[in-house]
Amino acid sequence: MKAKDIMEPVKETLTPETTLKEAVNRMRVARRGNGRVGVKGMIVLDNGKLAGIVSIKDILKTIIPSYMNLTELGEFTWDGMLEEMAKKVADRKVEEIMTKDVITVSEDASLMECADHVVKHNLQRIPVLNKEKQVVGIVYIRDIYYAIVQALFDKLDKEERK
Amino acid sequence: MTHEAAAASQPFVMDATFWTATTIFLISYVVIISEKVHKTVVAVFAASLMLVLKILSQYEAFHVEELGVDWNVIFLLIGMMTIINLMRPTGFFEYIAIKSAKAGKGDPMRIMTIFAIVTAVLSALLDNVTTVLLLAPVTLLIADALEVDPIPFLIVEALASNIGGTATLIGDPPNIMIASKAKLNFMDFIYNLTPIVIVLMVVLLVIIKIVFGKKLKTREELKQRIMQMNEKEAIKDPLMLKKSLFVLGLVLVGFVFHGTLELQPATVALFGAGLLLLLSNTHEPHHYLAEIEWPTIFFFIGLFILVGGVVKVGLIKLMSLKMLALTQGNLLATSMIVMWFSAIASAIVDNIPYVATMNPLIIDMAKQMWPQETGLALLRHPDLMPIWWSLALGACLGGNGSPIGASANVIVVGMAEKAGKKISFMRFVAYGFPIMLLTVFISMIYVWLRYYVFSF
Repeated sequence: MKAKDIMEPVKETLTPETTLKEAVNRMRVARRGNGRVGVKGMIVLDNGKLAGIVSIKDILKTIIPSYMNLTELGEFTWDGMLEEMAKKVADRKVEEIMTKDVITVSEDASLMECADHVVKHNLQRIPVLNKEKQVVGIVYIRDIYYAIVQALFDKLDKEERK
Repeated sequence: MTHEAAAASQPFVMDATFWTATTIFLISYVVIISEKVHKTVVAVFAASLMLVLKILSQYEAFHVEELGVDWNVIFLLIGMMTIINLMRPTGFFEYIAIKSAKAGKGDPMRIMTIFAIVTAVLSALLDNVTTVLLLAPVTLLIADALEVDPIPFLIVEALASNIGGTATLIGDPPNIMIASKAKLNFMDFIYNLTPIVIVLMVVLLVIIKIVFGKKLKTREELKQRIMQMNEKEAIKDPLMLKKSLFVLGLVLVGFVFHGTLELQPATVALFGAGLLLLLSNTHEPHHYLAEIEWPTIFFFIGLFILVGGVVKVGLIKLMSLKMLALTQGNLLATSMIVMWFSAIASAIVDNIPYVATMNPLIIDMAKQMWPQETGLALLRHPDLMPIWWSLALGACLGGNGSPIGASANVIVVGMAEKAGKKISFMRFVAYGFPIMLLTVFISMIYVWLRYYVFSF
């Protein structure tokens, strides 16, 4: 199997100009995998080209004040601080918070290549690009794992998966 | 023998080597000021040019004190940085900062005052950059907790660190460089600079009280956020903290007595670094050593060689002759010109290359004023001492004049910007420049009264 065999189609995308608040709302209502799974990350397209990816981890990173990365101050925070900080950054643009160096694979990439990226770069999802460098789908860690499950228990066929 | 005659007896030639070295020197300084290329890259490349073009031999660059790298400065910095790197993970600095905020009872004005004092004291004992790097994150957290603007706090900390750093030999790089060149010891700085720095700090505290006293207010319930913080939670490694404080204490005692013990400051700092590395039981010294600010260290190395080149070809002597012609050998006038020129220059450019150039210039000037003296008698000539102090006061305090005047300012501005609180150039100048003028003016009165009126 290749990336294109397990990827899911891209239903929703963000633009660099989307605000953080709007991005959070879009991710809150979006569903994938036949409408059963919540969305924890979305790709960002700028005029059809992949510009970045925003995950809930990127949003958490944005909410944590920069000074907390410089030293160990976690013990000195207060109740309600997270909520306050979230309100402060609500109007930030997606382009300021997204991961810009996105790891991508081609449609014909092997599942091993996908698994390798997931582990090396601690990823949850990998955009799949066609030859024209357009995003045609997303490979999720869960679907790569499912290929392992299938390999070990081949009686679980594709019908059951659906 | 007149000054002119003394100079004439040691002629130099303005040959091709002279002009090559001068050109390399001037272009490097212009590029460093322009910030088009990283200052360390400029200094290292320019230094290598001095060697490749044989303006300076490698032997002179590495082994001749008057022309090459001042290893005392290099290893003093490396030693102190290593100690701090080992001490940092213990949480000691966060502990001090949270403790200070609680001592201020959560009141912004009190916290600003206490932080200014803590910054000044830490800057005198460590270096300014380390101090603000450690305190600024906690300051931002506390400002968020109290819902007050962090910018005045951060600027006051930068100003206090530059003033505090002036107090001791190890407080600020210009002092380290001056001490090494002029063979001054730690206690010389304590006797001559610490008293005036205490006065300047009191002045700073009075001014911030006047400027911010009424404006800085917060609500009672927000103060509780500070009072509920438990500073003890900051301590990550109590055993290592004890070891670090023991070694830091030992190093400070070492500095106090290094003159008497005839140990160079770099020896004291390296001993502290070696001892703390040993006591830490670390099997991974790589991390602590890699964290040394190597770009700063190489900036110094490059500058020393670069300046060594223009010392050798006689440019510095030429400049010192011009300076003598200007002051007519009047020592008071020389002190005052050195102080004010240093202050203005240090506000505009990095004070490290400035002092690297001024040190040999002042020594050259001394040689022409007292041609019969050599060695320590020349470097520590009683009439020369106030000029060294004027250079130190001007170069250190001048750093407050603009956001690019001192490394501590650059760090504070950068950290504030990352936190989404941009400090504009002019906003820093609005606080820093008047403070610089006032502190240099008071220092000028001090130097005049102490060394030229009362002479003690």
